[in-house]
Amino acid sequence: MSLETALIIATFTTPEKIGTNPQAMLWLLPLAASISVAYKAMKMPTISVSSFLKETVILFGSIVAFVIIAALILYALAWLIV
Amino acid sequence: MAQHSRESHAWFLLVVGLLAWLVPGGGHFVLKERKRALIIFATIVLTFFIGLYIGSIGVINLFGTAAIYVKAAQIMNPPIVLVLGHHSASGIYPVYCWPSEIGQVYTMTSGLLNLLCIINAVYLAHLRGDELAGD
Repeated sequence: MSLETALIIATFTTPEKIGTNPQAMLWLLPLAASISVAYKAMKMPTISVSSFLKETVILFGSIVAFVIIAALILYALAWLIV
Repeated sequence: MAQHSRESHAWFLLVVGLLAWLVPGGGHFVLKERKRALIIFATIVLTFFIGLYIGSIGVINLFGTAAIYVKAAQIMNPPIVLVLGHHSASGIYPVYCWPSEIGQVYTMTSGLLNLLCIINAVYLAHLRGDELAGD
């Protein structure tokens, strides 16, 4: 086995170091992107590059916007209660 | 004759569903939806591998003590997940805290997206069968 192959396999056998900090929330973005892409790939009647990109970006933006709104509401509730 | 046609249609739906589970986008591929198949394949495989990259193969917890909803979502990934689950069950790939949580969320999401694709492919195959029967 070559060194490159061993290193590639090693990246999947040891977890990444992710701290408990606000930056960890950015891992939401690739997940929202993959959900948007897969959903639109199934839902659109015909797929052309421009319309597919446009629809996907709109859905991705909607997901992120609603997550931010939900986070702000929860933050406000926590601030009021505590 | 109609009975035979219904049986072959049911078999076709089963094959499409099985192909869609074996290879993400495989169901759409046999239905000649090549662009969709390619996008679905790339998205699901990438999501799954991002999950493994973040949390290692230790996040695949099919035979361990994970909650039933985690196992149910992860098993919807292609069958390679069974091999990875078998390896991670040995306990030599421990993963805790955020990497475990985020890795599980990614692998569960890829499994659930694959389930959605399986259902979509079977539904498309069903509609095409009805169209052919109507012609």
